[in-house]
Parts: sequence; C-alpha cells; structure tokens
Amino acid sequence: MKKGLIFLMILAVFAVVFTGCKKEEAKVVEKEATTSNLGASLALETEVMNLKAADGQALIKIGGTVRKVPARPADPSALPETDPLHWWDMEFAGEITNKTNIPESPADGAIGKKVIMIVHGDHPWTTACTNGAQKVAGVYGMDLKIQSPNWDLAVQNQMIDQAINENPDMILLIPLDAKTAPQQARKINKAGVPLILFNTLPDAAAMDYAITWTGPDDFGQFRKLARLWADELGGKGGVAYVQHAPGGSPYFARCFGPVSELAQYAPGIKVLDMQAPGFEADKTMQLVSDWLTRFGDDLKGICAADDSAQSLGIFEALKKAGREDVVVIAAGNSKVGMDLVREGKLHAITYQTAEGDGALAVKTAADWFNGKEIEPIRNLPQHMITIDDVEDFYPPQW
Amino acid sequence: MEGTEVLEKKQQNSPGDDIRTTNYNILGKIFHGAGIYAVAALFLVAGIILQALGVINNFLTAQNMLNIVDAVSMLGIVAVGMAFVTYSGHYADMSVPTTMALTGIIAVQMLQYGFFPAIAAAVAAGLLIGLINAVAIGKFKANPIIWTLAVNYVTLGVIRLVWVNKQIYPDMIAKSQWASDVFDNIYRFRFFNKIGLPVVYMIILVILLNFIMKKTKFGQQLKITGAARKASEFSGVNVERVIGLSFVICALTATLGGLTVTSLSRVGAYYNGAGYDFKAVTAIVIGGMTLAGGRGSIIGVLGGVLIIGLMNNIMTLLGVGTFSQDMIRGIIFIVVVGINAKSLRTLGRDDA
Amino acid sequence: MLNKPNSKKSLLVAIDRNRIFILFTIVFLFMALFAPRFFNVFNLTTIMRTSAMNATVAIGFTVILIIGQLDLSIGTIITFTAIIGLGLKEYIGFGGSIPVAIIAGGLIGLINGLLVAKAKINSFIVTLGMMTALQGAIYTFTGGNSVSLSTPDAFAVSDWLALMIFPLVTPRVIITLVLIAASAIFMKRTRIGRNFYMVGGNRQTAWLAGIDTDKYTIAAFIMSGVTAGIGGVLFAMESAAATLNMGNSSLMYVISAAIIGGTAMSGGKGGIFKTFVAILMLDVLYNGIILFGLGNEVKIFIAGIILASVVLYEAYVSYKHEKVIGQRPELMKELEVQNQA
Repeated sequence: MKKGLIFLMILAVFAVVFTGCKKEEAKVVEKEATTSNLGASLALETEVMNLKAADGQALIKIGGTVRKVPARPADPSALPETDPLHWWDMEFAGEITNKTNIPESPADGAIGKKVIMIVHGDHPWTTACTNGAQKVAGVYGMDLKIQSPNWDLAVQNQMIDQAINENPDMILLIPLDAKTAPQQARKINKAGVPLILFNTLPDAAAMDYAITWTGPDDFGQFRKLARLWADELGGKGGVAYVQHAPGGSPYFARCFGPVSELAQYAPGIKVLDMQAPGFEADKTMQLVSDWLTRFGDDLKGICAADDSAQSLGIFEALKKAGREDVVVIAAGNSKVGMDLVREGKLHAITYQTAEGDGALAVKTAADWFNGKEIEPIRNLPQHMITIDDVEDFYPPQW
Repeated sequence: MEGTEVLEKKQQNSPGDDIRTTNYNILGKIFHGAGIYAVAALFLVAGIILQALGVINNFLTAQNMLNIVDAVSMLGIVAVGMAFVTYSGHYADMSVPTTMALTGIIAVQMLQYGFFPAIAAAVAAGLLIGLINAVAIGKFKANPIIWTLAVNYVTLGVIRLVWVNKQIYPDMIAKSQWASDVFDNIYRFRFFNKIGLPVVYMIILVILLNFIMKKTKFGQQLKITGAARKASEFSGVNVERVIGLSFVICALTATLGGLTVTSLSRVGAYYNGAGYDFKAVTAIVIGGMTLAGGRGSIIGVLGGVLIIGLMNNIMTLLGVGTFSQDMIRGIIFIVVVGINAKSLRTLGRDDA
Repeated sequence: MLNKPNSKKSLLVAIDRNRIFILFTIVFLFMALFAPRFFNVFNLTTIMRTSAMNATVAIGFTVILIIGQLDLSIGTIITFTAIIGLGLKEYIGFGGSIPVAIIAGGLIGLINGLLVAKAKINSFIVTLGMMTALQGAIYTFTGGNSVSLSTPDAFAVSDWLALMIFPLVTPRVIITLVLIAASAIFMKRTRIGRNFYMVGGNRQTAWLAGIDTDKYTIAAFIMSGVTAGIGGVLFAMESAAATLNMGNSSLMYVISAAIIGGTAMSGGKGGIFKTFVAILMLDVLYNGIILFGLGNEVKIFIAGIILASVVLYEAYVSYKHEKVIGQRPELMKELEVQNQA
C-alpha cells in the first residue's frame, strides 16, 4: 500500500508537468469552424430532403401525421390500464413542457458545426441509425461524432460528461431509460450545451431541458397496427402479447397501446396473456407452444414487440401446431420481419425506419442551427407495412 | 457406539458394499436411485394432478411433451457438452455464448463458398477456441471461470471488430439457393413433421457422450481427474490431455448449438447464444452433476434440461408471468441443488 | 526468504507484486500523452465519479474472493437496492430509505452466506440462483417500470453528490475513498481482517487454528451485499433514477478488476486497494478509448486481452513454480558442478 501511494505521488508530479503541454492544444481545436454561412446551409435543404435511405425510401419525411392530443386527465395512473388515457404521461410526454434555460439558436447555419451523438448501445439497428445520421451530417458538412455506451448507464453518464467537456455545438442523445433522462438532460442543459433527445421517449421532466424530441410515435403506430389486426380478426377472438424487454416505453407501448386501443375499437377481442420472454427465438417458441396448449383454438392472434427473433419463434411454434390461421403482427422492419411479411406469414409490421430516426435528429439539429422554429416534438411518419407494399421497402436497412 | 453398530452391519452385508450406503434417509434414497428423474417425475405428477383438477389442460398430450423437448433441445445440446467441463472439476465454460455467436457468424459468412465449407469453417473456429481453453486451463491450470470469461470477452471483441455490429443473413450471402436452404434446415427440418432436428442432435449427443463418459478409458480418466486431480496425476493419467479434451468437447457442442441457433434466428450476429453459459450450468447442476467434479452423468444432465423445460411449461400453462417465473426458477434451482448436495453428504458420497 | 535472494530476483518480485500500480501508471501516462482532452481536471473528475460505483461494489467482492468464494449476484443486488433506495424515498425520506436499502443488500448477503456456509451449497450455485430470483423479483415488483424521484427537490441530493469540492473530489467520491481506506486497513491491519485471508488461504488450517470459518464466510457475503447496496444506492441517487438493469454490467467489470488487481479466485490473496487501482485503470482505459473516438468493440477486445494475459501470466508463474516444488536449487547446482568436474 505504501508503494502504491508512492506511485500515485509520482503520477501527481507527472500531472503537473503535463497540464502545461495540454492546454495549448485544446485552444487550437476551439473556435475555428464558425465561419459557416447561413445562406449556404439553408440552400442544402433540398439536397437533404432528397436523400434516400438504404431501402429506397426518402430518408426524411416530416409532418406525416399530426396527432390529436387529448386533455390530460387529473390522475392518469388512477384509470384502468385498458383506458388509453392511463398512458397519457407516457404517450404524450413532452406535449406539455416548461422549457427552462434553452439556449438561443445562433442562426448561423449548420455547416461545420460540431455535434456529438450518444446512442444507447450497439445493435444492427443502431448501426443503421447512425448511418442515416451520417448521411445528413455529410451533406451539411457537420462534424458528427457518434458514441455508444453499450447499454451501460454509468458509461452513458460518463460519455455525457466527456461530451460536455468537449464543448460541442449540440448533443444528440438517446437516453438509456426514460427515467434517467431528466438528470442527464438537466446536466447538459446546465452546462449550456444545446440538446436534442431522440428515439427513446423520455420522461416528461427531461423535455424541459431539451430543445425537442424526435422519434417514432410508438403508441400511435401500435394503435394503428392494432386496428389492422382487429379488422383481420373480425373484431373478436382471444389474443396474446409477446412483450418487449422491460425498462422503457416500448415495453408498454407495444402491448398496452393495442390493448387500450382495442378496448374501444374492438371490445370483442379478449386478452389471454402477456409475457416478456426476451428477444430469443427459442424462448418465444416455447412460450407460444405453451400458449397453444393452454388456449388451443381460442388463441386467434399474437402481437410481438419484435419482428425478427420473436416472430421466428412464434412461427416455428405455429408451424408445429399446424395453426396457419393465427394472425400475427409485430414491430418492424428488419429483414427477417419483412421476409415474413413477404411470405404472407406476418400480417402487418410497423415501419420503424432506423436510418430515418438518426437522420431526423440531425436534420432537426440543422434546422435549429439555421434558426428555424422547432416544435416540441417531431415524430417520424407512421406507416404499416403489409404484403401489398412490402416490396417498396427492400433492400432492408438492417 | 454408532460406529461399531454400523461396522457390524457392514459385516453382515456383502463385502463390496460401502459402509456409508447403509444409513441413508428417504430423500437420499430417492436421489441415490432415480437421481434427478425423481424430481422430473414429481413435476410430471404435479402437472397431471393440476390437469385432473382442471387448472391446466392438455398437459399430458404427446404434442405438449414434444413441445417441451423441442424447446429445450438447443439448451440440451450445449449442456451435455459443457457437462464434461463440470465433470472434470472446472465449473463451467463461460466462453460458450460467444463460441456460439462466432461459429454461427463464421458459418453464415462462409456460406458464399457453399454449405460444407461453411460448416467446416465453423467447426474449425469452435475447435480453435476449445484448444485455446485446453492449453490455458489443461496445461497451465488457469482458473477456468476467469479464463473462459476472458476468452468470451476477446471473442466478442473479435466478432464486433470484424463485423462492426452488423448482422449478416444466410440467404443474402449464400451463392446457391441450396446452401441457404440447407442452412435454414439445420434447425427447421422435422421428421414426420413432428420431431425437429435439434431433438435428434440432442439424443445422438446424449447417447454418444454418455458412452464416452461412462464406457471409455477417457471417461474413466476424466472421472478420477475430476474427483481428485492429484491422485489422477500420480496414477499416470495424462491429466492435461484429459482436461483439455473436455474443453474441446464443450467447444464442439457449443459449435453445434451456435449453428442451430443461427439457423433458427436466420442471422449471424454477436448476440446469438447470449445467456447460454448460465442456462447450461443451471441444467447441469440441477441434473445432479456437482461442481466439485467427477460426479453425475450425462443422463442426469438430460434430466436437468428436461426439468427446466417442464418447469417453464407448467408455469406458463398456469399463467405465471415471465418475471415471477424467473423468481421461482431461481429458488427451485437453489433448493433442488441444496437437497441434492445434502443427500450426497448424508450418504457420505460428497463433502463439498 | 531464508538466504538473501539475489537482487535481480527481488526486483522481479517487487514488480510482480506491484504490477497493478505499474500497469495503471503505463495506461495513465499513455492516455495523458496521446488521448485528446484527457488530462484536465474536468475529465479526471469524470473518471473518479464513474469509478465510484464499481469501486464501492468491488470492496465486498474482493473480500468474497479473498475468502475463496464467488458472488454472481452483486449486479442484481445493485439494481435491487437502488430501486428500494429511490422507491421508498417518497414514503420514508432518504433518511429511512437509504438504511433500508443497504440493510436489504446485507440481508441478501446474509441469505447467500447462510446457504453457502450452513447449507453447504456451492457459492457459484447459490449466487447464480439468487441472481435469477432477484432479477425476477425486480421486474415483478416494479411492473417493468424504472423508478425515479418525482418530487421537486429530486435533484438536490444528486447535485450535492456530484458537487466538485476540490479537483477530482465530489462527496460521492469521498464516501467511496473513505470506505475503501477503512476496509483496506481493516483487512490488512486488524486480526479479524487477517483471518479472512487465513480462511481463504486454507480453510482447514484456519478451522484448526480456532477460526469460526462459517462466521467469516457469512460475514464476507454480508459485506458484499452491503457494499453492493451502498454502491447501488449512491449511483441511483446521483442519477436521480434507478433502472431495472443498472447493475448488470458491474459483475464482469468488478471480477475483471479484482483479478487484474492480483486477487486470486482460489482465495487467500489480494487486496481491496489493489482492486481499486485496477478499477481506476480500467476506467482510465475506457475513458481514453472514448476520447480516441473508438467503439465498444475495441474496448471489449482490449479489456479481454488484458484480463486473459493476467490470468495466463499468473497461471504460468504457478505452473513454473509447481515444476520446481520439492527440488532444492542449491543442491541441483552442486550436482551440476560435480557433473562438470
């Protein structure tokens, strides 16, 4: 232990020596890229809007659907889970905000701006998402740096600290969890760095500290999907839900979204069970096999939170039991899921553009740099992929 | 006093009998005789009673039993291989998850050269990991858990460095439709439209590995090595080779597991096989194989695998939520293993 | 020890004993020299703050390893206590919820310890089962919802914990350092602390020497539960939220750090302070990797290589050592001389 202390003391000496060298370097990196031109930046708008994602779809589609926001009930959690308003705080987080200390837009164009994007973790989806972000950043000539904490909260917090230390023009953040977002957003806000949250819908409190939130309207998508499903089912029959892994809004949106929607739209549909087997095909297969044993012909429909591993497990189980009649829907749109739609197995999946998700965040950042008015929430377009239009979405993004 | 009594008893018994086997209790007797299948039978009976009471239905049907076996077949494939590591007294091979992922993704990548090169490449990769483990643990006696954990890390790093967080699809990479179809059928092919290939792999592996463990010279040497490494060394067993071989067997079954899981999920990705390390240990230990090594059998491990399947099945049929299932599984795991350990101790067969 | 060893050998021994300090120095200097924006007060404070949770958790875990056991449940204990600590705040305030959470951690440790010491079930199995059961309990009781503080003063405590008092030091870091210093001194300087090493080094001998080995085993598990609890609660308070899997990555991290720090899985060897330095080293390494703009794949790969090299090195040393057990080098030398003559 004594020796350890000696080592630490030696380090301290080195510390003093090095602080001198480091400072100058830092100064050079600062203040250099602010020679951007607002006009040139605005002129790039059409080029950005003409960008295409890997699936041939337009990379950015804004203003697809304007959703109606109902009045917030006094205490949403007191309502039953089958009431759509029970989920108000989650579904419409950010619609009522009390923005604090939001930095003024410099309105000097997006060209050459330094932006740090912190995502939630490594996944093929994330890779596609960052590809989309890079495409937009490339057009604007932004210096976009992407970091991934590998699903670790402590690391994400560290990355936020380090990002603040770099003093960028903007931080784009996918919070790891809705509930951790407020403190993270607040920290960035306090440091005076502009912040846009995206993809994972955070707690409403986090919205106060961010310019805006962009991403998919999971609840809205699943309400739409549920209606397609109910129509196919004829408005009756027993259904079961294969849930997302807990710890985020998809866990609720991709299950209680349809549940609460169908309670109104098709009350004849009965919820038999809901389980979260994780994203493993074999576990899902066992679960669905057991459901088929338990409910037999009562089980008419299955809603999955994932269109790849979970869906494959579902169809393996259905094939074994010889049940071609069960109507399955899922959150999309991976290659595996779209193949299943093309084969006529999955009835419908949601269009969850990964590239568009990242692209929209960067585009919104650019809009802010260009001095445009930013609405408090920017949703990705809603679309359901069925066998009729699935070919339009090939080749898949991931 | 008691000692002399026992001794007297012993003299009455046939000379080959172990002195301690005479004073077992009922629980111990059950475990001694039927092993883990007693517990399996218990679950089956519980299921049948629940069905008779009308709480659950269709439990005792051929289809449901087949479903149970089908669902745990991949776990079975991995567990019976890893059982050799446990049997050799080296706890568990924590590098199994990424071995599965690596072999799977390599197979998918090599599908462009055809089906057989893909399988060969996957087996080669599995063999390589097995050999690395064999040398480090067999020869240099590195701590098995930590070493295999480190290998798991490195392999994961390699997969992610090479494929950069992407997943690759067999049908997009394969040049011929045939190769892609055959690969898809590693998991999906069913005999008589009922019995899936993984079940067949599992049964073949159980028969083969049980034979190796119980009937061959290697199996005998492994038993002594697992129970008492030093004694085994002094009696002239090539301990390094025996232990090394057990890790190679584990890596090879993990390769088969990796190919199967990749075929099922139709993607080669770094996260395939995640969680199989702990799942397999659970099955092995429930199956009556002690972590101290040298005790247990492949048939027992199969029993452990089946119990996990039965347990999941009954709980889902009862409508128990996934999360409560986890809770119950954890507690049952500790209790079953605890009773097993205690009965072995009272039998005087184990002091661990 | 008996005859004075030659100086070259004693230097090697010294290097081997302090290898974690050397490793830390090398990594630190490398990052200070080459990583952009590494060497400044803000970033170094970030490193200290990031390391705080795992450093706290590692205290108990090191003791567990010293006593020759394993605790796989620390990750879920972190999550569990974090959720209790924040979840109960609404009802009994931090003054009540923090002690309750830490006691809950201790209780889980006690159950682990009793099952290991009294029921004599292998600790690998007990804590693996505990890990599964606790994760299920967490999901069941929260209903899949993360926990956050909803009161207006939610951020007051979290701000205070992250307040930079003077360079590199925030209150949470101070708590961590005090805990580490106290337990390191306890383990090395008190008889009770030394007894943990005895039990881990040779259980039989310790028992014969009159040490109640069961009691020490249980104590180690309680310590592990308590430190995991403290780490979890403080982390959750600083984040002002507790997620359902916030502790999951800690297990591998802490195991790696303990092993790299020179604690042996077989028990009886190691130290809390060395584990702490190993954690700092890993954090400096990861911090630098982020600063270089490299991805997780690099981080995982390098961490794996370091861990593998350390394990292999230790194994190789003891392998060489075993080869010469029972031989007397001075006699061998004499024989050699005679043969040459």
